[in-house]
Amino acid sequence: MSEMSKDILLVEDNPDDVTLTLRAFKRSHVMNTITVARDGIEALDFLFARGAYEDRAGAPLPTLIILDLKLPKLDGLGVLKALRADRRTRLLPVVILTSSKEEQDLISGYSLGANSYVRKPVDFAEFVEAVKVLGIYWLMMNQSPPEAVP
Amino acid sequence: MKISTKGRLATTTALATIGLIAGMIWWANQEVEDASASRRLTTELTRGLTELRLVTFEYMLRRHERPREQEREVSARLDHLIEAIPVSGAGQSEVVAHLREQSVAAHRLFEELVDAPVADGATAADAASIRRFEDQLSSRLLILQQESLADAFRLTDFSTERITAAQQRVVIVILAGLALIALTTGGGAWLINRNVLAPIGKLEQATREVAAGNWNYKLAIASNDEIGEMSRNFDAMTQSLRMSFAQIERSNQELAALNQEIEAFSYSVSHDLRGPLRSMDGFSLALIEDYGDKLDDEAKDSLQRIRAASQRMGRLIDELLGLSRVTRAELTLKPVNLSEIAREIADSLAQQQPARVVQWDIEQGLTVRADKALMQIAMQNLLENAWKFTSKTDNPVIRVGAVEHNGQKECFVADNGVGFEMAYADRLFGAFQRLHHESEFPGTGIGLAIVQRIFRRHEGKIWVQAKPGLGATFFFRLKEQGQ
Repeated sequence: MSEMSKDILLVEDNPDDVTLTLRAFKRSHVMNTITVARDGIEALDFLFARGAYEDRAGAPLPTLIILDLKLPKLDGLGVLKALRADRRTRLLPVVILTSSKEEQDLISGYSLGANSYVRKPVDFAEFVEAVKVLGIYWLMMNQSPPEAVP
Repeated sequence: MKISTKGRLATTTALATIGLIAGMIWWANQEVEDASASRRLTTELTRGLTELRLVTFEYMLRRHERPREQEREVSARLDHLIEAIPVSGAGQSEVVAHLREQSVAAHRLFEELVDAPVADGATAADAASIRRFEDQLSSRLLILQQESLADAFRLTDFSTERITAAQQRVVIVILAGLALIALTTGGGAWLINRNVLAPIGKLEQATREVAAGNWNYKLAIASNDEIGEMSRNFDAMTQSLRMSFAQIERSNQELAALNQEIEAFSYSVSHDLRGPLRSMDGFSLALIEDYGDKLDDEAKDSLQRIRAASQRMGRLIDELLGLSRVTRAELTLKPVNLSEIAREIADSLAQQQPARVVQWDIEQGLTVRADKALMQIAMQNLLENAWKFTSKTDNPVIRVGAVEHNGQKECFVADNGVGFEMAYADRLFGAFQRLHHESEFPGTGIGLAIVQRIFRRHEGKIWVQAKPGLGATFFFRLKEQGQ
């Protein structure tokens, strides 16, 4: 894990949402590689090169994680907690992209160290707009934290 | 036994004792009076007897007619005195009888002495026998009279004894009565302490325990009096309180469980119900975008309708969640400046639709005590409605203010918009109830349901007055009004 890629990890279990999110990225001309994890455990395996992703040992971390909250096995807040507890991923930008705008989810998300919280709109045009802004901000404007801060 | 019965009993005993003492004193007084009278009589008797002796001596010495007359007179007086002596007791009556006999005997002896021959002029031998006879008679007479005197003294002694006995009895009765009164008073005090003061102390302790929330505290005073009855009532009361409390606790738990279910349900709605809508909208748009050139206008219109319906359902879900959030929100009551809130909302509406010209008439310093976040939602809905329903009115005016009614402040939001028939006013506050077509005035019909719920949560009230074509005025009142 020596250098930063400009990859995105999308943690999302709903295949429709995966398709639509990928489509939205494509339509807003975000060309970065997007890896999809279908549940919380898979996301952590990918990031920490475990289980099915053992061969990823040494591979760079994604620049941005887009995290749904409602996930099988381990939910989004669990993933966030595990990320923030690990030295390697504690500063990695995480954007929560979810259906819920329940106050409790917002509070939990931010208190566990989410960098941003975006609600998926029903209107796909709005969704594309949101994803576009996200891509521009997090992949182009934002300066990523230096890796492996002691 | 009841305390009141015990009290009555003690009072009766004390009164009876006092009565008894008074009776005894009266009786003793009578007794002393009687005995004194009797002693006076016996004293007189003694004096009479002494006089009789003197008269008898005088007669024996001189044989004059005067002492003889005197003897008769004194004798008769003594007989009267003897008859007058009140007789009480066997000893006394015996003495009186003896006295009477002796008096008769003495009188007879005296008569014999009177009738006896006189020694003067008789022979010496006759004179001597006459003298002997006279001596005999007078000796017997003197002995009789001496015995009578002794009897009279004995009668005096009887009277004195009677007086002493009566006095002693009075002393005994008074002492016994005082002892009985002391016993009754002391017993009463002890009973009051045991049966009244001690249980009242327990009762006081029990009320303190129950007031502190110890619903299981049992008083359990088993006595059969008023305090026992009160204790049983108290225990019954705490038991029923305990049961009510348990019932409330159960209801609260049920409510909490229900609330949790609603929360879980809303969470699920928020997360899961919107997903499919996104897919419907997203893939419809994908079809239009990717295959637009192969679709005719009708197909495109159908896809647009699918999208519009999905988005509308998304809004409905959001508003339902809003309604549920208003129900679940915790109230923080503080003074809230309604004028400020109304001004901010008015500015924001004017910014969103700068082409519209609406005259805002907002009273300054409208303050209510309420939850600020909820009041903001309520005012937002009311003012947005006023804004929306004046969109087809010339010279629209929206007024926010307050009126005083029956000493209570009633706030209002009034518009001169389309208004409605008052017959529909009741339906207005129901969820998804609308009085206009969506094409006329867009909306989901849940805003006023949210507003009503907000005022209900404040234990307040909202109602409306309207006329078709003239506008509507929404009045609201909160339970507690600020300054």
